[in-house]
This record gives sequence, structure tokens and C-alpha cells, in this order.
Amino acid sequence: MMATSSYNWAVRRHFADPQHAGKLQDDYELTLVADVSESEHGAHIVISAGIRGGVIAGMAYRVWGCPHLIAALECVCTTFEGQPVAGLENFDSADITQELSVPVEKTGRILLLEDALATLWAKSAGTEDQG
Amino acid sequence: MSGTAVYLDFAATTPIDPRVAEAMQSCLSPGGPFANPASIHIAGRESAALVEKARQRLADLLGADPRCLIWTSGATESDNLAILGAASFRAHRGKHLITMPTEHKAVTDTFAHLEKSGYGITWLKPDADGLLSIDELESSIRDDTQLVSIMHINNETGVIQDIGRIGELCRARDILFHTDAAQSVGKLPLDLGEAPIDLLSLTAHKFYGPQGIGALYIADRPGCRVLPILHGGGQERRLRPGSLPVHQIVGAGTAAEIARQDMANDLAHVSTLRDRLWQGIKTLPGILRNGSEDHSYPGILNISVQGVEGESLMLGLEPVCAASGSACNSTSGESSFVLRALGRDDALAQSAIRFSFGRTTTNDDIDVAIERYRWSVDHLLSIAPLAVPGG
Repeated sequence: MMATSSYNWAVRRHFADPQHAGKLQDDYELTLVADVSESEHGAHIVISAGIRGGVIAGMAYRVWGCPHLIAALECVCTTFEGQPVAGLENFDSADITQELSVPVEKTGRILLLEDALATLWAKSAGTEDQG
Repeated sequence: MSGTAVYLDFAATTPIDPRVAEAMQSCLSPGGPFANPASIHIAGRESAALVEKARQRLADLLGADPRCLIWTSGATESDNLAILGAASFRAHRGKHLITMPTEHKAVTDTFAHLEKSGYGITWLKPDADGLLSIDELESSIRDDTQLVSIMHINNETGVIQDIGRIGELCRARDILFHTDAAQSVGKLPLDLGEAPIDLLSLTAHKFYGPQGIGALYIADRPGCRVLPILHGGGQERRLRPGSLPVHQIVGAGTAAEIARQDMANDLAHVSTLRDRLWQGIKTLPGILRNGSEDHSYPGILNISVQGVEGESLMLGLEPVCAASGSACNSTSGESSFVLRALGRDDALAQSAIRFSFGRTTTNDDIDVAIERYRWSVDHLLSIAPLAVPGG
């Protein structure tokens, strides 16, 4: 049995009051959905991006995972809303990992985010059917 | 501890009772009995008298002969001395030993060590309630079985094993019976003068004594002996060398005396608290109690909830200090081996929270735990995917 690890202020704030958790509310020209999970570390992400005019107009997620993962999803959604879809291609989790002080042993869970965004990008580029 | 923290982790350790702290302080103050109790001068004899008084107090709590008690550093050392020492002493008779995978790591890791050393170990699995089948135990006994080790109260679930029946079974076959009673000494009545227990491990910090002091009970009967695992002195009947920590032992003895006097009240108190907590959360969707409800110590309540991730649940519980059923902030991400042995899947085991209560826990503490637990579960379910592990 173990106690919770330390969480910085940003993790605690995002955990307690996640702004992007739930469903996308508006209608968009295109809605992309990525559903990724990683049983070894215990994480499941369903992330959605609403596209309008080639821009990510809204993002939302649902998650089963640790506080760092919840906070990381919040950071991702905040970062990409209003950005061109093309930005998804080059997502690097390093900045988020640093901002949230993610412990090294949780790197695998955060990398799951890269998989999720890569899936969104692939779907936007039409290289994969909508899931 | 932070003034805002609500401590519900008494199974991990208990706060020192102020009366225990006072007794220990008297040993640590200038002019206190600091001398080595093994010394034969006046100061040493003064310390030795305090050590023996504490041993008597602990013996009184257990209904034991004080000469059967060996001071150790705690239950982990006692478990090691009992298991390794008994296995060594009886190795010429046979090398088959029996235990359960739901024991504390101090026991399972010691058995695993013996297994690598050539001993045959039978690992008996519990039923879905965490209980040992006596019939299965009986059928697993072989001609060369020398030791059975089954804990009294499980540290994660609070499940109580029938150590009386297990002991009778073992004694009838001249097999040594060891029990890790770290969670039960000072909390449930024990009478080692009557109970067929050969070896019993305990630690003081589980019953409001200091950390770093425990004891091993070794029954005074033919064939019941252990060989030392430490070498370097003649203390404690040559079974546990090392200078005795007088202030720790005085603390343990005082805690034992208090536990003997307060046990009935303590037990009634934690029963009330456990029921209050369960009543406050049992209506949550997907909630499950882990371990037998009929054969469990009321000071521990272990619960899982479907569809909720354990580490996030723990953060949502703050400022409540409870124990998680997962090691999710470690590198392994492994869920509780005890709960998995009860048949819980990884996700349910990982969502487990162990609340444990004690003498100083109040109804207000429980009400905070109810409020935080309900908020945390509702919050996490509201953001979870529709199909989640364990959901």
C-alpha cells in the first residue's frame, strides 16, 4: 500500500477543476476522436477535437488515469484549441512533462498522449478511417 | 502531521499514546535509566528491571509466560526470526512449509527466500472472502511439513483467520504454527496460555507504542525452538543479540498495559466508526467491500469501486490519509497482490482504499472521509470514458 506522490500546483488545479473533461458541445465541420489505452500503466484516454476551417475549435476528453494524466490532458486541450490542425503532427510531451513535474516512472502514461494526438493527426490527414 | 490531515491509516501505524510517550520520556531525560540492561552494575540492573517489567506487561496482554517473549525490532524481524529460525531448527526433520500468498511481505518474501534455498512451500490461496479453508490446509500437510504460517488479521482487508483451529490442526501433527499478529495484538483478545500457537510476531507501533520495537513469542514446549538469524551477543536467550533499547521497550510495555485495559472500549469504538463510514458510502455505484464481512476486524474497511482509478481517488480524498490498494506511484504500477488473490481484477484492486481507525478517530473524521470519498468517486466517474477498466 502506498500513499499518493507529490503533485504540484498545476496538477492539483487541473485535477480538481478540469475544464475540458466531457463531450464536445458544439457542432463542428469535422470531429476527430482518438481512443487509446495502456493497460500496463493503467490509463485510458478518449480525446476529441472539433475542427472548423482547418483550426481546432474545441477539444474535450474523457480519461481513466492518474492525476498527472488528467492534468496533462487539460494542458493539451488548452494548448491546441485555436491552433491549426497541422500542429498535432509535431506534439512533444516534454514541455508538459516539465510543467507538471511528471515523475519519470510515469513517462509511459504521458507518452500515451502523443499516441492520442498522433491518431487525431492521422485521422485529420485522412490516412485513417474515423473510429 | 498537518493540522488539517484526517488520519485514517491506523493499520500502517498508530500515533503514540501520550502515556506511552511520557513513560519513554522518563527514560530519555537526564538521570533516566540509560544504562545497558546487560551490564551487571547498579545502573544496568535498573535498566534490566524496566525491561523485565515491560516484558511482564506484554505477557499479561497476551496471557503468556514472559520468558517466552523475545524483544526484536518489530514484526518484520520477528517474522524472519520465526520462519527462518524454525525452518533451520527443523530442517533435519523435513523441508516442507505452508503459508498463504495474502500474508504480509515480511512473511511471503521470507518464504520465497526459503523456496530458493531448497525448501518446498505450499502457497494456499484464500477463498473470495480472504479466508483459509481448513480442509485445504489439512490436505496440504505432508509427512515432512514442519511449519505453517498464517496471519491473524490481514493488514489490508482486516480478515480474521481462525488461528485456533489452524493451531489445533498443527499441534495434533507436531507441526509448528506461526502467526503474524501485528494487526491483532492489543486489539483482539489473545490467550497464548490456551491458544495452540507456537510462534507469534508482534510490533508495538500498531497498538500506540513506538516504532522500532516488537517481540516474538516462542512457546515453551518440546520441539518448539528457533535458531538465531543474527549473531553477536547473548541477549534475549541468545536468540536476538544486540543491546536492548530500554526506552523503546518501556514504551512497548506501557502500550501493552494500556491496550489490555482499553481493548474492549477500543473495539467498540472502531466498530461504530467502521459502520458509520460504510453507511455513508455504501450507496455509491459500483462500490464493493474487500474481504469477509463476517470475519473481519472492525478497525479496517477495505473498499473498491468500479470504474475509478486508484491514484486519482487518493488525491481526491485529501486531506484524508488512507492507504491505496495500488502501488501506482511506483515504477511497477502493480495492484495489491492480496486483493488479486481474493479474485479482484487489476482495476478493482487498483481502486481499493483501506481505511483504518483507532482510539483517537472521531465521528467528525469519518464524516470528512465520507464527504471526500463521495466527491472523489463522483468526480472521477464524471470524467471517465464510458467503458473503463473495472467499469
